[in-house]
Amino acid sequence: MGRLVRAYEVGDELPPLVKQMTQEAINLFEGSGGDSEPSQFTDEETARETLGTEGTVASGRMSLSFALELLRRYFGSQVFNHAGTVDLRFLRPVRPGDTITFTGTVTGVSREVNGSRVSVDVKVENQRGDTTGVGQGSAVVPNAFLPQDE
Amino acid sequence: MVAADDRILLDWDALEVGETFETYQYLLTQEMIDTYRLGVMDPEASFPTISHKVDVKQYNARYRDAGSVNARCAFHCYNPPVAGKTITVRAWIADKYLRRGKNYIVTEAVSVDEDGRLIDRVITHELKQPTEVGKKWGG
Repeated sequence: MGRLVRAYEVGDELPPLVKQMTQEAINLFEGSGGDSEPSQFTDEETARETLGTEGTVASGRMSLSFALELLRRYFGSQVFNHAGTVDLRFLRPVRPGDTITFTGTVTGVSREVNGSRVSVDVKVENQRGDTTGVGQGSAVVPNAFLPQDE
Repeated sequence: MVAADDRILLDWDALEVGETFETYQYLLTQEMIDTYRLGVMDPEASFPTISHKVDVKQYNARYRDAGSVNARCAFHCYNPPVAGKTITVRAWIADKYLRRGKNYIVTEAVSVDEDGRLIDRVITHELKQPTEVGKKWGG
């Protein structure tokens, strides 16, 4: 993969990321981590007992994974996978059948010793326009990934 | 026959910030990575460690409670893990707080692979009254 060299400015918008939530995806996510027991994520009855909801919900960690994808696509994996962060608050449940859209806006660019720290506000909305999550992300972009005049 | 649950019933007031958990180790397989990537619908997803929920795994091994809801989660990427490597996780109670009458516990964990590569750090805020989800957001 080639090196992604780009400039960053406050107000830049990240390309949105859209995810269609399904129970199958939730089950795969939970199974990949070794969780085979029925849970609020995979079993409706357990969700009713534990959460008081009528159906299952997706783990917030799935939204966290999607936020990582949003930022990794923007910064490039060579940068984000080694110096990226996300801090996400979960405001509403995400359920099977939901379509959730992740957006991001650059809020800060500050010089560091060997590059620039780029900060991003992240927002997650479902198909009804409800905000399901908000947070911040960042990456330290090394000088080699910035235009030479920066 | 159901095995006896000998875990400690959580006493939130008595829980000490800084409490550490037993080191947890697991072998990260290619199948785990592939299944995670299918689940998150991202063929390049680089941190399958997320779905292992390692920051709360040892908490849940030590304590029993009414369950929890993830209220906030922070993740720091250092190096994507590699299939076939054993991951070692150290986790601890980073904080606890009361907000609007609800109890929260903050767990933190750092993962390192068998070659000493730092993989990631995860910090999770869990609401310990999960039925609040149903009360607030209904069915």
